[in-house]
Amino acid sequence: MAFRGGRYNHAPVKWRKLRTFLLTVLILLLIPATRFYQIDEPLLRWLRGKHQVDPLALHVSGEFVENNLGTEQNADGSVTVRMIAQQYLFIPHCILVPAGVPVHLRITSADAVHSLAFMSTDYNVKVSPGSISEAELQFPKAGEYKTACREFCGAGHYAMRSEVRVVPRDQFPALRDGERGNCAAQ
Amino acid sequence: MPRSRPNYAFSRARWSAAQLVVLTLLALAVTALFVRAADNPSDHVPSFVEWTPETIAQASSGDPFRGMLLARHCEHCHGTEGFSDKGSTPNLAAMDRLALWKELEDFRAHKRVAFPMNPIAEDLSHKDMVDLAAYYAKLPIFYDPEDKRVFPRPLPGLAQKNMAWRLVTFGDGERGIPPCQACHGPIAYRPGAPSLMTQNSDYLLAQLEAFAHRTRANDINEPMRTIADLLTDEERLALAAYYGSGLGMQPGSSWPSK
Ligand code: HEC
Ligand code: HEC
Ligand SMILES: [Cu+2]
Repeated sequence: MAFRGGRYNHAPVKWRKLRTFLLTVLILLLIPATRFYQIDEPLLRWLRGKHQVDPLALHVSGEFVENNLGTEQNADGSVTVRMIAQQYLFIPHCILVPAGVPVHLRITSADAVHSLAFMSTDYNVKVSPGSISEAELQFPKAGEYKTACREFCGAGHYAMRSEVRVVPRDQFPALRDGERGNCAAQ
Repeated sequence: MPRSRPNYAFSRARWSAAQLVVLTLLALAVTALFVRAADNPSDHVPSFVEWTPETIAQASSGDPFRGMLLARHCEHCHGTEGFSDKGSTPNLAAMDRLALWKELEDFRAHKRVAFPMNPIAEDLSHKDMVDLAAYYAKLPIFYDPEDKRVFPRPLPGLAQKNMAWRLVTFGDGERGIPPCQACHGPIAYRPGAPSLMTQNSDYLLAQLEAFAHRTRANDINEPMRTIADLLTDEERLALAAYYGSGLGMQPGSSWPSK
């Protein structure tokens, strides 16, 4: 100790000790504090992977809160569609997208395993609770596309249907910032 | 030989002081960033209830005896036996306890806005709600000719009855309406979906319209807002009349109609 502090150091040993002590206390306090105030939630979520969500808390926070569901207009002209599949409904029940632009679909389940199948095609997106299924779609022509769940999910399974309404690009409503489109917006 | 004193020890100490400041600032900045990312105040949250196993266990752990004492304050409107004498006030007898508890929590948090329940629920503690739910869930649904309950209403006409029966049992696959009984029983129950079998028709109709107009928006992930919106006016009327006359009870159990 005498060697380290005495001859070569102008700062007395006790200040250095104090600094080390304060730094240790700060770090030790920071760790439980981040956990207590759940400040580390986003970090943990990010570490868990961006494809994972809590199926029981979709409505409380995160990507699948109510006001974020539906069609989002991206800057590059493409759209992002976010949906929830649950026993025995797709939410939103009717999706509005413009024709001929890339559609990034992001869908998750609130309960069981479902699938989003486009009727009269064999195209099928499997949806599982806890993870986000992604699909890249594009609808060349305007029209109404019926969708259904093709993964048996319980008593109301056969009524689990919804619709994608494709409109010509110029008829797609201009969405304000933060606004999401669905058929009601048309 | 006298050695010249190098100053590095001192500069090292200065550096660590600066480090301390930078570290603290960094921690604060990152903290602020995460706090902002964690809750977005513009999000519409329908209800703070999450049906985790712990929530379900806690909401089911009430003490019905304590609930009975507390229910004195509710009798005036919801009836001494959980059957109301006003069609617009819901019957609570034998209501699913998770559903009852969730509604009280939502009233308390103003996630469901309905006079007079918001101020009433604000005065209840979390334990009170759990106990009240346990009590009302235990009440029997026997018919008592002595009291003035409005349930059951007279049976609806055949056309109305058939329209409702189809929706209750099969839903409508074409329009994507799932059958009511897949969530409200008796086929299957979803947590928080009350059994509608002994509910007043006026109240049911008012709730279906409120969901359709989104003046009631506390259903988690929007099942009821979506379904009520897809139903036509006649269908909502028929469904309210169907359940409100006791037709929703399982086949086999007979219910005396007035
Ligand atoms: C002044 C009359 C009044 C009193 C007292 C009252 N309620 Fe209510 N309650 C109502 C009315 C009216 C509604 C329907 C609200 C609506 O239209 O949405 C209601 C709704 C409810 C609901 C929702 C039911 C459902 O099916 O969703 C619950 C649960 C409830 N009350 C519990 C209680 C409890 C527990 C108490 C006693 C602590 C109580 N109420 C006291 C009038 C009352
Ligand atoms: C996908 C599941 C599901 C289906 C199918 C469903 N419901 Fe519901 N319903 C719910 C849930 C969940 C609630 C509770 C909402 C809440 O959390 O407040 C509810 C609430 C209600 C209420 C309010 C009850 C009260 O006491 O406040 C009425 C009325 C109702 N549903 C009618 C219907 C009718 C009629 C049908 C058939 C056409 C139907 N529901 C089909 C899930 C469903
Ligand atoms: Cu399904």
